[in-house]
Amino acid sequence: MIDVRGVTRRFDGVVALADASFQVNPGEIVALLGPNGAGKTTASRIIGGILAPTEGDVLVDGVSVREDANAVRARCGFVTDQPSLYERMPLRAYLAFFARLYDVGSPDTRAAELAKLLGLDDVLDRRLGTFSRGMRQKVAIARALVHDPPVLLLDEPATALDPEMAQILRGFIVSLRARHRAILLTTHDLDEAQRIADRVVVLYKGRVVRIGATTDIRSAGRPRYAVAFAGDIAAARDALARAGIDAEAAAAKNGLAVLRFGTDDPATTNPAALRALLDAGLRVVTLSAEERSLEDAYLAILAEARR
Amino acid sequence: MKWWLIAWREIRWEVFLDRASLLRTAIFVVIPIFFVLSNRGIAPGASGDVALIGLALQSVFFPSLSGVALIAATFTAEKENGTLVPLLAAPIRDFDIVLGKLVGMVLPVMAACAVTLAAGYGLAGYRYGYERVARVLTPELLYAVLVLSFLYLVTTGSVTMIVAARVRSSRAAQQIAGLVIALSAAVFAGLGLVASQVGEGWPLLALGVGLVLFDLVALEIARRVWQRGEVIGRV
Repeated sequence: MIDVRGVTRRFDGVVALADASFQVNPGEIVALLGPNGAGKTTASRIIGGILAPTEGDVLVDGVSVREDANAVRARCGFVTDQPSLYERMPLRAYLAFFARLYDVGSPDTRAAELAKLLGLDDVLDRRLGTFSRGMRQKVAIARALVHDPPVLLLDEPATALDPEMAQILRGFIVSLRARHRAILLTTHDLDEAQRIADRVVVLYKGRVVRIGATTDIRSAGRPRYAVAFAGDIAAARDALARAGIDAEAAAAKNGLAVLRFGTDDPATTNPAALRALLDAGLRVVTLSAEERSLEDAYLAILAEARR
Repeated sequence: MKWWLIAWREIRWEVFLDRASLLRTAIFVVIPIFFVLSNRGIAPGASGDVALIGLALQSVFFPSLSGVALIAATFTAEKENGTLVPLLAAPIRDFDIVLGKLVGMVLPVMAACAVTLAAGYGLAGYRYGYERVARVLTPELLYAVLVLSFLYLVTTGSVTMIVAARVRSSRAAQQIAGLVIALSAAVFAGLGLVASQVGEGWPLLALGVGLVLFDLVALEIARRVWQRGEVIGRV
């Protein structure tokens, strides 16, 4: 649905995006991650037909952004971190205005439908300037959906939303995936990305440094294990060190000391660790694999990219 | 006709609901009417006729000045509030956005010009005699004056749009608009003097032709600086 093909964008000689390529399929949420200035917003603006690529091309629903940017815009719904609303307009008129710009038949009916979908039907005739931050963001989403686009470009949609509103928004984005929308989510919120993104694209200094399924990216790298036990933590570390295992202390859990270690060969290392701890007279309660968060994986990817 | 959607939105929801712009326009409408009322008398003969033409020019020129400030405010406000991004994301040509916003500003101001001219004409007739006013301010001349004010508005509007694309805040844009107003007032005063010296209406025609040529260039520059890529680079 979205096919980014070797896109480069320069601003006055500065490279904002360099030879970026990735895809987003229908019914898929792809998180576009990266530090500030990595080129995330530039990428989503190029995909949305707002900004022309310097080199390369983007196909949205089979339409080239170079050949017919207007047709690409008609296929994309764009949500920015700032709702950016015309504050003097009431909701109904605002949505109907954008519906007309997108050549939607029966714009007033569509405005009412969307307001109902997002729980704003009781404020249809209220001016947008009086809306709360959460309501404004809902309006921005309604605006993006006004023409029922197959592609959604969400640029930091949950910025400044309270946790409850952010959760509602996440639920809504997931419901759109179920309706076979191709969704590109640009975000700094790695927790949000971990929860809803099927795949992740990491940008660093305009370059794509990692693409993969969220679960694959999280599980990549050296597997880590945590052992929880009752007893002296220093003695436990010594015991593990004697067995050739370099462990580090982690925060105590449920009154138990916790040590963490990484290994490329858990089938050998884990029994050895258990044996060493038991031989040292420590009462081991659990030995479990540690699931790496997307944040840990992302930071590791960035550290690698910087090297 | 998407430019018309944008224009109508500007008129309906921005111009008519912006108290500051309404007040500003009202002041610029009242000033020329005040000039007609405060003028002690119009001398007989050619010099008096020129004074009447001058009053007619002021009647359209002053409301036009409010349009310059209006255009400066609307374009920079769009940039400052980020409301331009959803518009740029919609399937509309760059030119339609520029045209729509310009028409949205020009139409209400032209309406204000027409109202002021009609009011000024009526008042001048009442004070200096309808017959004389009708003889000097012929329908052709009134039409020419309105066209001139339209061209002036498009010219200064285009210049203001170019400036608004470059500046970061609406405060800066308003200052630039003030400068444009002051400069154009000085230019028009000079042209008025030339018109009074030469007469026969030719200076007005020359001014019109000059404005049309300037409009073409200014509008093209405005279109370029408000292209998506250019604007997005600055938003």
